[in-house]
Amino acid sequence: MKILIVEDEVKTGDYIRLGLMESGFVVDLARTGLDGHHLALTGSYDLIVLDVMLPDVDGWRIMQSLREARSTTPVLFLTARDSVEDRVKGLELGADDYLVKPFAFSELLARVRTLLRRGAAPVFQDQLQVADLMLDIPRRRAQRHGVRINLTNKEFTLLELLVRRQGEVLPRSLIASQVWDMNFDSDTNVIDVAIRRLRAKIDDDFEPKLIHTVRGMGYMLDVTQPG
Amino acid sequence: MKRRPLSLVVRLTVSIGAVITAVLLTFGWMMERSINNHFVQQDVDELNSVVQALQYLLATVPADIPADELHQRLASVVTGHRNAQYRISTDSGSLIYSTPGFNLDTFARTARPVEEITIDTVESWNDHQEAFRGAVLWIESDRLEGKARFRLAVATGIDFHLHYLDGFRNHLRIVTLAACLIVLLATWFAVYQGHAPIRRISREMRRIRSDQMDFRLEPRSVPAELVELTISFNEMIGRLEDVFRRLSDFSGDIAHELRTPITNLRTHTEVALTQARSVEQYREVLYSNLEEYDRMAKMVGDMLFLAQADNQLLKPELVDIDLQSELRNLFDYFSAWAEEREVLLENTGEQVHVHGDRLMIRRALSNLLSNAVRHTPEGQSVTTTLQVNSGNVRIRIQNPGPPIPEEHLNHIFERFYRLDASRQRSSEGAGLGLAITKSIIEAHGGKIRAFSTTEATTFEVQLPLKME
Repeated sequence: MKILIVEDEVKTGDYIRLGLMESGFVVDLARTGLDGHHLALTGSYDLIVLDVMLPDVDGWRIMQSLREARSTTPVLFLTARDSVEDRVKGLELGADDYLVKPFAFSELLARVRTLLRRGAAPVFQDQLQVADLMLDIPRRRAQRHGVRINLTNKEFTLLELLVRRQGEVLPRSLIASQVWDMNFDSDTNVIDVAIRRLRAKIDDDFEPKLIHTVRGMGYMLDVTQPG
Repeated sequence: MKRRPLSLVVRLTVSIGAVITAVLLTFGWMMERSINNHFVQQDVDELNSVVQALQYLLATVPADIPADELHQRLASVVTGHRNAQYRISTDSGSLIYSTPGFNLDTFARTARPVEEITIDTVESWNDHQEAFRGAVLWIESDRLEGKARFRLAVATGIDFHLHYLDGFRNHLRIVTLAACLIVLLATWFAVYQGHAPIRRISREMRRIRSDQMDFRLEPRSVPAELVELTISFNEMIGRLEDVFRRLSDFSGDIAHELRTPITNLRTHTEVALTQARSVEQYREVLYSNLEEYDRMAKMVGDMLFLAQADNQLLKPELVDIDLQSELRNLFDYFSAWAEEREVLLENTGEQVHVHGDRLMIRRALSNLLSNAVRHTPEGQSVTTTLQVNSGNVRIRIQNPGPPIPEEHLNHIFERFYRLDASRQRSSEGAGLGLAITKSIIEAHGGKIRAFSTTEATTFEVQLPLKME
């Protein structure tokens, strides 16, 4: 998967590139709007991460050119101003998602993966499996090591999200928005409580432990411990 | 561009000056007229006395008087009347007598005879650059040449009067002009002086600096007309002071709230770097830093939101919201957390729809709910009530628990306000939640208030059913 980053701020650009590369992506970094514009139109990328506040050719122009060229490459734009106008403008220009600075890298990574997955043909699987955990999607049932586990509706949705994105660190805000449609940070530890309860049901009596806490970032479901 | 209105001094001076000038001119005109009438009356009296003397002469003169003597007597009629003269002729036009040195022929022939000489019947004319006033009338006598009717033209020179009147008129003009000028100057001075309190107030206002916002004008030291202005000004300064104070408090709070995590980060990082440590220890430092960063990012986000609200930049994207289902979703979201705290969530009331920004309303309600759950004692429940009354939706979120003292209730929606001053930053955020909630509700044209009894604390939100 090849990603283009257009970001004029040196450190931000470097760290995003490093982070994405370590997550297994091939990354090109353009440090000026002009370079970014050129690369976006000539290169072939699976995703473009675009800072809209660039000194020369700004992100809006690049998005416009992409649209005029009928490009279908998904665009995730970064903005420092959380204003409705910016959001609306970006989405009208054909961007697929946006993040407001300062953002968490785990959040960026999660959204990048979501966008990349969106492009791929959806996989309709009735059964999901991680280690000895089995999810029956149509019947919304879970069992582990052959034992049926009783989950509430939301618990199942949460588990399904974790399983589908196995091996990815999911930030709390992403979980809140995907499972409960709550698109804002809450002062509470609601997500932690929900995860704790889910853990009690699927991990407490079994080995190996599947749900892992990634400190300061979020949660992840995988067979092996992260890091 | 609109033109600046005329200055008050000019306006008042011009209008007062115009009125007084008009009064003076009218007064002068009346005076001149009355003096003129007086002179005309004098002339009429003189003419009448000439006529009477002549009538007496004609009535008493013997019929057989010699021509010389008659002539003498006729001449004596105007002696003592310096400018008077007359001409008498028979009905048929033949001259009997005419005062020598004057020529009344034309006047005697052309003027219409009058019954009696009065101000209204007397005529005036110019002859050889001399002005006259006079009249023609019939007089009767049976003593003279045995004839009955004589045509009498009598006149008097009025140059003397006219000359006097001219002088008087000039005099009057000068006096009027001078009086007008004096009046204008006096008015201008009075108005200028009258504005002295305004200039004084202006000087006082100019001294106000941002560090002396407690300055107030003294309404008792200004004239009655300016009391309202000073009171309005004082109120304006009051509002500015309030905003200013809150703004500077806010900046101070921001500085404080950011300084603490930055200090933590700095210290932590510096200490970590003072000696070589294990990978585990480094990782611990980074994790701990990450948590601080998170908190700071969240606070900056919240403060930006509030700054937008302050600048009226919060533009709700209005959609139809079913508040009951919205609350149900939030209950669902908070259920696990509330259960763990052994707090129940209950909703009563009607099904209510409002127009609002879904994300914002959700955020506001979520803040109020999480607040309520946090302060509810174990085993009790948070109750939400939805109600519609007179175009408003009322949302009440009530939780049992210790009461909030009155002095805190008034400040509870202020930024960074904490009920417990000693309690520092905690997992509960920076104390911006309720301020954000209030901004959201107000951006929707609604109101929020809090009240507390010994049993329960209630937050009440009022939202208009439809937003313009």
